[in-house]
Amino acid sequence: MKKTFLLLAAAVAVSAVVSVTAGAAPSATPGVTAKSILLEGTFPLSGPASGYAPIPVGMGAYFSYVNAKGGVLGRKINWHYEDDAYNPANTVQITHKFVEQDHAFALVGGLGTEPQTAVRQYLNQNKVPQLFVSTGATTFDRDWSQYPWTLGWQPDYEAEGAIYGKYIVKNLASAKLGVLYQNDDYGNDYLRGLKAGLGPHQSQIVDAEPYDLSATTPPAVQVAKLKASGADTLLIFATPTPTIQTYVISTKLGWHPAHIITNSVSATDSFLTIARKSGSDNVDGTLTVNYLLDPGNPVYNKQPGMKLYRQIMAKYAPKANANDILNLYGVAKAWTTVQVLTAAGKNLTRAGLMKAARSMNYTAKGKNANPFALPGVNVFTKGSYQFPISQVTLVRYQGNNFVPQGKLINGRGA
Amino acid sequence: MQTFFQTLFTGLSDGAIYGSLALALVLIYKATEVINFAQGEMAMFTTYIAWSLITHHGFSFWPAFFATLAIAFVGGVALQRTIVRPLERASVLTVVMATIALLVILNGLAAWIWSPQLQFFPSPFPTSSWVVGGVHISKQDVGTFGVVMACVLVLWLFFRFTKLGLAMRAGALNPDAARLLGVRTSWLLALGWGFAAALGAVSGMMVAPTVFLTPNMMQAVLIYAFAAAVLGGLESPVGAVAGGLGLGVMLNMLGQYVHPVTSELRLPVALAILLVVLLVKPAGLFGRVVVRRV
Amino acid sequence: MRGRAAPLWFALLVVLVVVAPFLTSNYRSYQLGFVAVYLIALCGLDLLTGFTGQISLGHGAFMGIGAYTTTILVVDHGWRDLWTIPVAGVVAGVIGIAFGLPATRFAGPYLALATFAIPLSLIGILKRFPHFTGGNIGKNLPQLHSEFGWSTNPSIWFYTVTWVVALVMFPLAFLIARGRFGRSLRAVRDSEIAATANGISTALVKTAAFGVSAFYCGVAGALYAIGITYVNPDTFPIDLSILLIVGIVVGGAGSLYGMVFGALFVEFIRISWGPALLDLFSKVHHVNTHAPGSGLVVYGVVLLVVLYAAPAGVAGLVGLARSRFTAVGRPGGAPSQSARTPI
Repeated sequence: MKKTFLLLAAAVAVSAVVSVTAGAAPSATPGVTAKSILLEGTFPLSGPASGYAPIPVGMGAYFSYVNAKGGVLGRKINWHYEDDAYNPANTVQITHKFVEQDHAFALVGGLGTEPQTAVRQYLNQNKVPQLFVSTGATTFDRDWSQYPWTLGWQPDYEAEGAIYGKYIVKNLASAKLGVLYQNDDYGNDYLRGLKAGLGPHQSQIVDAEPYDLSATTPPAVQVAKLKASGADTLLIFATPTPTIQTYVISTKLGWHPAHIITNSVSATDSFLTIARKSGSDNVDGTLTVNYLLDPGNPVYNKQPGMKLYRQIMAKYAPKANANDILNLYGVAKAWTTVQVLTAAGKNLTRAGLMKAARSMNYTAKGKNANPFALPGVNVFTKGSYQFPISQVTLVRYQGNNFVPQGKLINGRGA
Repeated sequence: MQTFFQTLFTGLSDGAIYGSLALALVLIYKATEVINFAQGEMAMFTTYIAWSLITHHGFSFWPAFFATLAIAFVGGVALQRTIVRPLERASVLTVVMATIALLVILNGLAAWIWSPQLQFFPSPFPTSSWVVGGVHISKQDVGTFGVVMACVLVLWLFFRFTKLGLAMRAGALNPDAARLLGVRTSWLLALGWGFAAALGAVSGMMVAPTVFLTPNMMQAVLIYAFAAAVLGGLESPVGAVAGGLGLGVMLNMLGQYVHPVTSELRLPVALAILLVVLLVKPAGLFGRVVVRRV
Repeated sequence: MRGRAAPLWFALLVVLVVVAPFLTSNYRSYQLGFVAVYLIALCGLDLLTGFTGQISLGHGAFMGIGAYTTTILVVDHGWRDLWTIPVAGVVAGVIGIAFGLPATRFAGPYLALATFAIPLSLIGILKRFPHFTGGNIGKNLPQLHSEFGWSTNPSIWFYTVTWVVALVMFPLAFLIARGRFGRSLRAVRDSEIAATANGISTALVKTAAFGVSAFYCGVAGALYAIGITYVNPDTFPIDLSILLIVGIVVGGAGSLYGMVFGALFVEFIRISWGPALLDLFSKVHHVNTHAPGSGLVVYGVVLLVVLYAAPAGVAGLVGLARSRFTAVGRPGGAPSQSARTPI
């Protein structure tokens, strides 16, 4: 018995030691050395949201490109990301690891409304930048005074919804609107924005059907109800899969709304093509908004930003699918990150980084706009206006091309 | 009335897919008393193989379909031989865990090899619909139903009228007696897995055009297939198919007509109904209660 | 684990628990706090699955119920987080009994499906009543902070709270398993017919086992919520229930001490060991360590390896090792091996 006791004590001790070996020692400014800056982020690399996995790949490609040219003021960017499978419990634990063990300088691009909401308090309490989160949930931009270390990046969902509302008031004032929206923050943000944009015209909405993302069947019932409501304009505020299904189901049910408005995340060339191949005849004429160059759309091939993008992808992420706009989204976000890192100066601190991020001025007029965004789109924050990108172009989908409908609109009217 | 028939047809089509995967589950359970939690992922993985054949190797649909069935069959046999058979003597928990490990591996492997990006999977049937009395009947739905029923029929014929089928039924019913009669029960188990894998591939290829090809596409189908198999009685192939069809119709009817049952509640309500059925008939609708003797 | 040795092992565990935070970083202490959480959940689940032989694929849901109970009490009703822990356990336990009553009619795969249904349904129910549960958006709990006038690092506070609770619940599970009730559990597992013949009401035993295991998971869930500081339906997916079963199998079903290893495995495999293994592998043969899905493949392969190499879990391995060491002189030198390790 004594022997087994010793044996097991040894086993337990070994496993305990292996588990509890301490992490790296912190430096003066965490994550910053003379030669490097550590940036980290959590992304869903597995599970239902893993379709967004190209984003950190694009970011990494751009960071590699910058490192090859000498880095940021002589420091190379050390980019590391991990899988949280869109489960906020994982996000919290990994984020603790990033902050307390890896001592990252900043967390950049973290994906998902709920995962990033879960860590927002912690990061702000510990004064760690939660920069350019990959979600359009309005709260990350709007609530800057409560959460000074948190900032979004892309046009927020509510603003996008409002743009659709205003468009309808101006051009479709007598249309009967049927809305399919995802029953969570994502869909509800769009719906709220739509109603705000419609203003007194809210009564144009004849039916709004919620769709639950964890629902295990396509939204056939909802589409049938929308058809029955007599709506002649369909608005789809959902993630890609149910969006494509909605197109297909409405054709199957013989419903051809005169107009279809779809949110930008789901209305990309690749998804709309899948809808068309799956039997939808409603795809052409879809109205949506764009703010980035779309590598799937040949009309942008001549843009200098697109050429640079393709070069970077070919050299630093050759195995990735460069036609996936999510890679370009990552590149565009990484570009912004490098700009604020540079603006924060050689004496790099977390507070300095946030200061730079809260007074960004990358505009077409200033000739330093984000090359990967549509021409004319600015990245701008100042004082109490903290919506980095809020300009979009309304576009209409016509046989693989997005045809601009007028000029850039600012969803936030800055 | 129109809505009723519309809902009915959609339900039958969904139900056919659940039924085919349920049948695969029952095949394996009947032969080996193992619930194969990896059935859905096996179906997904083989569907990716079919997709790869079509998009990267220039196959057209039906040749890819049959090639995939063959590959799935071989894969199923291989999995049984390598992973399941060594654990034959182990506890139920261990075997359950092994199929779950397989589920995880296949899911990760599919994302690793083909990326998790949503892909289009072509349907062999036209995407248009017939319109009968105001009811839109999708040709795809009818085709899916037909393919699944054809497979079920082929399997039934096989089990009923071939020597090998008879041997498999014997091996499942009474393995010891079958072995005494010279039946190589061990290989028959592997064959059972092969057939189940092929059935799963059919299920996957039929559902992929509607839900689009992603590594997680079969997870929802698996849950319903599970429920259908249990509803019909885990030892009854007829029950699996009937259970699948019934479940498909019931789910669509619930969603259409019962308003408090919003989309979040469809699955819980369906499962609740299932549990109620089980309380009344613990071996499923078509199952036989086995009395254990000491 | 023979009766006389048990207090020694427990003493060793207590010593390790007290000493560990001094040997390691605050982040590791935070992780070890979750090890305590999983230990509590696994002890409860082991009573049901290892001791009573009822396989449940749904106990992550009871953790979820406990977590939401705590969250709602703290966020909406201003309770102090610690006082919610027993309440969370009781709520989960009651629901466990309510579920266990009809579930006793199911056996084997039917029970597996029924328990599989619980976490799936829970997600839908949580989303259906957003005014009560916060819906998909979830709720944020207050950040970890030490209480009772003791000011220490929040991670150390979390570690302390969780291990205090664990070191109470663990011996409690022992006592349950050792006593007459524990014998009834094992009787039901080994042969329901024989148990009934001996006057044991299998339905009652199974229901009680469900209730107790749910109570444990509810307590674990409360601590989980306190540590994560956020709950929403996505935080309790079916993966969590499967992870608990993995912990049981790796630790060794039927062995409470094995659950310590199970809990270590569950906490570290996804977050630390999996990525580390992948990095190691890529030094031999280059793989993209960030490839989507690669982490899952590693996790699944490790699981299979454990299943083949140690089908009775770590506890089984220990049992084998012990027999090897103490079987000298037995006829033929063959170690006597019990398929199920006693506690």
